[in-house]
Amino acid sequence: MKRMIWTSLGTLLALSCWGAAPAIAQTASCPIKIGAILPLTGSMGPVGKHIAESAQLAIDTINQGGGIKGCQVQFILRDDQGQPTVGVDAAKYLVEVERVAALSGSVSSGVTLPILTAVAVPSGVPLVSCCSTAATFTTMAAEGRTNGFFFRTLPTLKTQAYATAKVTAERGYKRIAIIYLNTDFGTGMVKDFTKATEKLGGKVVKAVAYNENQPSYRAEVNAAMAEKPDALFLVAFPQDGATMTREWISLGGTQNLVLNNALRSLDYIKLVGAKYLQSAFGMDNASVAGPTVDAFKVAFQKAYNTSPDGPGIYNQYDAIMAIGLAIALAPDLSGKSIRDAMRKFQTEGGTIVGTGPDAFREAIALIKAGKPIRYVGATGPLTFDANGDVSGPALIWTVKGEALAIDRQISLDDMAALFKSID
Amino acid sequence: MTLGIVSYLTFFAVVVTILGIATLGLNLQWGSTGLFNAGIVGFYGIGAYAQAILTAAPRPELLGNFGLPWIVGIVGAMVCSALMAALVGLVTLRLRGDYLAIATFGIATVLQVIALNWDGLTGGSLGMTSIPRPLASLFSDPFAYNVFYLGLTLAAAAIVYVGLERIIRSPWGRVLKAIREDETAAIALGKNAARFRFEAFVLGCTVTGLAGALYVSFIGFVGPFDFLPIITFQIWTMLIVGGSGNNRGALLCSLIVWALWTGSGTLISRIVPAAYQTQGGAIQSILIGLVLVLTLMFKPRGLIGEEPVVSRHAR
Repeated sequence: MKRMIWTSLGTLLALSCWGAAPAIAQTASCPIKIGAILPLTGSMGPVGKHIAESAQLAIDTINQGGGIKGCQVQFILRDDQGQPTVGVDAAKYLVEVERVAALSGSVSSGVTLPILTAVAVPSGVPLVSCCSTAATFTTMAAEGRTNGFFFRTLPTLKTQAYATAKVTAERGYKRIAIIYLNTDFGTGMVKDFTKATEKLGGKVVKAVAYNENQPSYRAEVNAAMAEKPDALFLVAFPQDGATMTREWISLGGTQNLVLNNALRSLDYIKLVGAKYLQSAFGMDNASVAGPTVDAFKVAFQKAYNTSPDGPGIYNQYDAIMAIGLAIALAPDLSGKSIRDAMRKFQTEGGTIVGTGPDAFREAIALIKAGKPIRYVGATGPLTFDANGDVSGPALIWTVKGEALAIDRQISLDDMAALFKSID
Repeated sequence: MTLGIVSYLTFFAVVVTILGIATLGLNLQWGSTGLFNAGIVGFYGIGAYAQAILTAAPRPELLGNFGLPWIVGIVGAMVCSALMAALVGLVTLRLRGDYLAIATFGIATVLQVIALNWDGLTGGSLGMTSIPRPLASLFSDPFAYNVFYLGLTLAAAAIVYVGLERIIRSPWGRVLKAIREDETAAIALGKNAARFRFEAFVLGCTVTGLAGALYVSFIGFVGPFDFLPIITFQIWTMLIVGGSGNNRGALLCSLIVWALWTGSGTLISRIVPAAYQTQGGAIQSILIGLVLVLTLMFKPRGLIGEEPVVSRHAR
């Protein structure tokens, strides 16, 4: 009995140390290792699998483009199973035993946060996430608690909230009421929108939280209406949003409605009645267009025989490419050097480098020659701000007759100017 | 590189020890008393959140965050878990077997949903960050700190282990076993079964709460997604594979099961070719399940079964 236990323990130990043996023999730092922690099983599994494929595609791009610093890149992917404890363990293993140069992951903020606080920050390894939206990361970065080791490649809620506030102000609405969904998405939106509105001269007179799937929202609607606002900003999903909008309008509320991106759906318009929405407008993230985006689409389609139009796929590709370029730009492989190089491929006026192996090879040549570069990736031009966040272009939509229409686009440059004026 | 492995194994050992403490708590309930607690994660979570709320530095958006010393947090976490267990125990302990399991499972789910929604206290879906680690300022190197923290958790595990061993060998512990084997007979012998069941339940949950508190002060972050029912399942697996009723088995199998859980991920990332890495997660799940099933087929009483006699007087 006892023997069996010790044998099995020994086997397990041997298994976990197995990885170390071949690496000891190598004197040079080749291959350069990049680790990723993504949910491949569990509730996020279906999403995570395609995100992982996108990461693999980025690694292939780098290797086919000649690798980095004369080395091929080895990709080590670990499954977090959607469980924070498992994700943290995997991250610790990647950092300590595999000695990865940088980490990418994860999808849920609840997994990414402990990886950041327990592994990336104490060990000084950059962590680039494709998909974690929580505002906590920005707060932590601003307070200096991430030591600058956190980056993410998807636009934060700020993009939507600030763009909405800007157009609300342009339309001359001064007193705004908000009804919002009680999740980190809803609360985050209210916080950023309120900040921006106050900077732009308006005032949020009332913010009412609601819980999903209620038969009626009369109480919430009445609370918001009591303040007699110029406009109502609704942060909701179509079904509940429609129930609320109908109650709002039937009780005599203003038709100056400001809507969030989830309400940009024909279902919502049909349920409410298009004629009540003619003076409403909404905001959404604009999809970026351009040759680098198309090149990525084609490459992904070819590699996996499926469309990349799912959550996080474009963003994960850029997360890995950002790591690859930063390693190429960094003088050595220490976490600090890679972190400091993360903003060196976004030089304004630098030679534009796109997606795909050839573009990567060109980027490496330019870096070697000491020329400035500007990476324009699968999500468009990638620009990390001081907190490691990126912004994206936005669009304003309205209802024309019975259909959805795009009123105008807010470009990345306008967005950057807006951010500057508010923050 | 060797240092890297040692460093990782230290980190790994801390997590194992913490899970081991939680398994010891469950062993008192199920192994000794026969209480089917399917809501362990709820008490683990209460300990974790209590630690965070008591010790984290104040923040304007949160009600709690009292910034108290670490040890106050640990004691507070155990008290909170005990109080919640007492409350739950009063309501549910008249239930038996499956019914108790369903009730405790439900309560754990309710607690998780409360943690997710009570933004002012728990930080809601964002959780709470920057939970202080004890004496962290004395260590500049993360590895040295983890060694220190491992010592701390091992000491806690040792205290819990020795305490529980003494308790189950005492007359009080023998009554628990009597209740587990035949409650009616125990009552016929004049034992107040309800009281003993209640006490074992509260004590077990207190130990689980301690494990939760040790976990958050190690990781430095607490969020509602740390307390999904999968944790309950993992702790149960550790107990059943180890051999319920045996504290050494519970500790040993915390190590084995967690090594299997995480080691299989390492194994997969090494043996599966790059092109199939994205399928690796599924293979890992199959592997874990397979090993567990095989263990139970060949060792149905667990790796180390229960000692048939625990009394000093009966040998």
